[in-house]
Amino acid sequence: MNKIRIVNDIPEIVSLNDSIEFTVLEKNELFSVNSLKIRVKKSTSLEIEYQSIETTKLDIFINVEENVKFNLFEFREGNNNKIQYKYYLEENSKSNITKFYNVSNIKEMIIVNLNGKKAEFNYNFKTISVSEEKYDMIVYHNYSNTISNIKNNGVNILDGVLTFNVSGFILNNKKDCVLNQNNRIINLTNNKCQITPNLFIDDNNVDANHSALIGKFSDEEIFYLQRLGIDETIATNLLIKGFLLSDIKKSKQSKIIKIIDQYWR
Amino acid sequence: MHNLKIINLTVEVEKKKILKGFNLEIKSGEIHAIMGPNGTGKSTLSKVIMGDPYYKIIEGDILFDDKSILKLTVDERARLGLFLGMQMPLEIDGVTNADFLRTALNIKMGNEFSLVPFIKKLDKTIEHLKMDKKMIHRGINQGFSGGERKKNEILQMYMLEPLMIILDEIDSGLDVDSLKVVGKNVMDYYKQNNPGLLVITHYQRLLDYIKPDFVHIIMNGKIVKSGDINLVKEIEQNGYENIVEEKKIISGTCIVKENLKNE
Repeated sequence: MNKIRIVNDIPEIVSLNDSIEFTVLEKNELFSVNSLKIRVKKSTSLEIEYQSIETTKLDIFINVEENVKFNLFEFREGNNNKIQYKYYLEENSKSNITKFYNVSNIKEMIIVNLNGKKAEFNYNFKTISVSEEKYDMIVYHNYSNTISNIKNNGVNILDGVLTFNVSGFILNNKKDCVLNQNNRIINLTNNKCQITPNLFIDDNNVDANHSALIGKFSDEEIFYLQRLGIDETIATNLLIKGFLLSDIKKSKQSKIIKIIDQYWR
Repeated sequence: MHNLKIINLTVEVEKKKILKGFNLEIKSGEIHAIMGPNGTGKSTLSKVIMGDPYYKIIEGDILFDDKSILKLTVDERARLGLFLGMQMPLEIDGVTNADFLRTALNIKMGNEFSLVPFIKKLDKTIEHLKMDKKMIHRGINQGFSGGERKKNEILQMYMLEPLMIILDEIDSGLDVDSLKVVGKNVMDYYKQNNPGLLVITHYQRLLDYIKPDFVHIIMNGKIVKSGDINLVKEIEQNGYENIVEEKKIISGTCIVKENLKNE
C-alpha cells in the first residue's frame, strides 16, 4: 500500500512504489503556497493522511495516465486549511477518490479535468463540519464518453456552516457523457448551510442527474429504527454513522469510527 | 398472557379522519386478520398502534396489558413487546442490518446481551428464511428486492422476540415461494412463542399459511364485519362492496326494530 503523510505542509513518504511519481514543487513564497504533484503511471492505490496544526495552503496536482485505475483514500484532520486540487484524467483511466475530513475552517477548490475518452472519476467525500467549511468543485468533461459520479456528504454540528458548490460542464459535441451529482448535508444546527449544484450542459446526448438535500434525517427513517426499541438519540447516532461510513471500505473505517464516537457516543 | 385493546379510536391525519371509533382486542395466542379495500385505514391502524407521531389521536385509547400506551414513544412501545412488520420497509444506506439488529438487541437485553448467541441465532434465522448471508452486512434493505425486504422484517421479528405482532401487508411483493417461506416462519414463531398476531392483508393467499382465528373487515375507518376464516372466502367470492351493502341492510333492520320497541 502506498502511503504519504503530510503534517502541516511537509510531506513524508511512508511507502511508495514505482506506480506513483511524487514531487514536491517549489514553494510559492509570495502566496505561501506549497505544491505537490502526484503522477499515477500504473494501476494502484494510495492513502494520504493530513494533519494540519498551523495554517496550511496547499496545491495538489494529480495526473492519472491512460488505462490506469487509481484508488485514493484521503484522511484529513486539523484546522485552517486552504487547499486546491487539480485532477487530470487521461483516456480510459478510472479514479476512485474517497475522502474523510474532520477539520475546522477549510476552503477547498477541486478542479477535475476528464481529458480522454472513457475517463471516469468517482468521488465520495465525507465531512463532519464544526466551523466554516466551503468546498467548490468543478468537473470538466473535456472529452466524449467521460463519466463523473460526485457524492458530497456532510454532517453539520456545533458552529458548522457548510457549503458545497458543485458544477459540471459538458461542452457541445462531447457525446455520451455521464454526470451524476449527489450532495447531502445533515444539518443538526440552526446555522445556514448551502448546496449549489450546477449542470452546464451544451450537448443533448448526455446522461445527467443531480440531487441536493439539506436537512435532518427523515421522520420515516427515525421511526423505522425506533420500531425495534431504539430511542431517538441512538437512532440518530446510528444514522449519522451510516451516513458517514457508507461507501467507505471496512479497512479504512476504524479511524473514522473513533472520530464519530467522539462526537456521538 | 398479554392483551392489546384498541378502544373507540379516532385518528386524524392532516385534518382528515382515517380511523373512526375503531375497536379491537387481541390476546396472546390469537391470530386476527384485518382485510379491506385500499385507503380504509389498515396501515394507519398499524402505525398508530406503534406510536407514529404523524398520526393524531382525537379520541379513544390503546391499552397494552390494561395500561394506556398512548403517551409512550415508538421505542418504548417496542420495548414493551410490540412489533410492526412494515408494508414498505425503508432502505437506509450505511447502517448495516447487523448493526441495526445488534443495537436493538443490546438495548433490549442490556447486560445479558452476548455477541456469540446473537450471531448464532442470526445465522440460524437467516437460513430458515432462505436469505443470503451477505445481506446482513449490507445497508438496511439496500438493494433488496421486495421479497427480501419482507423476509428482513420477519428476521427482525425473530431476533426481537415480540409479544404482540402486527404484520402490515407482509405478503405484498412476495412470489409464491417466498410467501410460503414467510408464512411458515411466522407460524413457526407463533407456535414457539404464542404471541398475539394481527395480520393486515388484501389477499386470501397469505391466510392459507397464517390461519386466523378472527377475520375483520375494515371500511371507512372502522370494523364493519367480523367472523372466522369463512369470511375470507366470502370476500373472495363477493368482494367488499357486497359485504358493505349487506351490512347496511342489517343495520337498517336493527334501527327499525329498535324504533318499533320504543313506540
